[in-house]
Amino acid sequence: MAAGARRAVYPLFQRGGPQLRIFRPNFFMVAVRPGVPQPEDTVQFRVSMEMTKLDIRNYLERIYNVPVAAVRTRIQYGANNKRNHRNQRVKKPDYKVAYVQLGQGQTFQFPNLFPEKEQDAETRSFDDFRDKYMEKEKQKEEGDPRRVCKKLLCLLNRH
Amino acid sequence: MYGGRARVRPGRRHLGKGQLSPCAPGAVGGRGAMAAAAAMAALGRSLTAALRLPRARPGLPGMALNLYHKNPQKIEILHQVKFLHTTVSRRGLEEFFDDPGNWGEKSVKSGDSWNIKQLRGKSSEDLHKLWYVLLKEKNMLLTLEQESKRQRKPMPSPERLEKVETSMKNIDLVVREREIALRLLQTGHEKPVPGEWRHDFLGRTFWYSYKEWPIPWHLNKKHKKKRFYYLPHVNHFIRLRLEKTLRKRARQQSLERTRRKVLERKFPDVAVKSQSQ
Repeated sequence: MAAGARRAVYPLFQRGGPQLRIFRPNFFMVAVRPGVPQPEDTVQFRVSMEMTKLDIRNYLERIYNVPVAAVRTRIQYGANNKRNHRNQRVKKPDYKVAYVQLGQGQTFQFPNLFPEKEQDAETRSFDDFRDKYMEKEKQKEEGDPRRVCKKLLCLLNRH
Repeated sequence: MYGGRARVRPGRRHLGKGQLSPCAPGAVGGRGAMAAAAAMAALGRSLTAALRLPRARPGLPGMALNLYHKNPQKIEILHQVKFLHTTVSRRGLEEFFDDPGNWGEKSVKSGDSWNIKQLRGKSSEDLHKLWYVLLKEKNMLLTLEQESKRQRKPMPSPERLEKVETSMKNIDLVVREREIALRLLQTGHEKPVPGEWRHDFLGRTFWYSYKEWPIPWHLNKKHKKKRFYYLPHVNHFIRLRLEKTLRKRARQQSLERTRRKVLERKFPDVAVKSQSQ
């Protein structure tokens, strides 16, 4: 396949013909945190527009080894109310959303991927040192405040 | 199998067309399941080493995922029988997320992408497996990207996504090379679908690839209405079109030249420096 289903040329459908297969699919599936609270066993995904419910089921079962009980999909309309600097409408792309119910009593909860990490002592001390150093450098560039005053006084005296 | 030698497994002959094959996505063929599993594990290990450093997963803290196998003892026996000494990852949905050790990090170390020379040295089966490894990695990174967008935080090491995409593109190139070589050997054709250069009614030239039709062409009214030729009075307009493209190109080139000159006049030191390097 030309890397994926997007550019694949499918043969004309005929009765009894072989089932369509995909090698090297380039479909993506992005797990997202559901905006509306979902039941425990439901996982929300954003998927490629070309994927069907059957594709999603096969994808999860064959590639990820996840038991799937049911799949529901919808297409989210991307907002069209933004305007650019020429006052033309700018469309956000549409995307397909899939709600997958897991089989065999599995549950899923979206994890927090950005937890507040506790800095260990070493990095903290390094950060402190860096901050101090940067401050010193800054002051050096600016120069001694007293010297600036002297210069100013000289100028004033001359005029 | 190496890049120059056009030998691909006969079972994968239809890879070129891409639609039909006895193997489903992700399914390792029954023929060499055990060897395949071993190779897969080795491949996975090498890729993991290449892409991410720490890969120990001691269970996720924020994710409740009970194993879907009720009887662990039976599964263990199955593992021993089916997969010998290799371990097959059974992580399921956890694979959509990065290693928990990397959560909240500012940057994650990763190796280089697979270049085409490395991939040419791999067998087709290995490439097939590597594709799925990369696909999972890409899904993981896209999930991370989306979540970071949602939380309005910078994504840790976004260059990984680019690396994975480059690798996938390279795999695709290598597989296509092998397909073309095999097709040339077997049929003497380079393209999977035959075709020819044709003109439309405005004299524009395009590649027309043949396709299957349910009825012969002389019965197909819609197809008979199409004109793959142009009349002599179009010649004048073809000339005009050519002139237009040439003018456009010349204008762009002169614009680029002027822009460069202005920049060189503005920043003479930079211009000299860039020429010397």
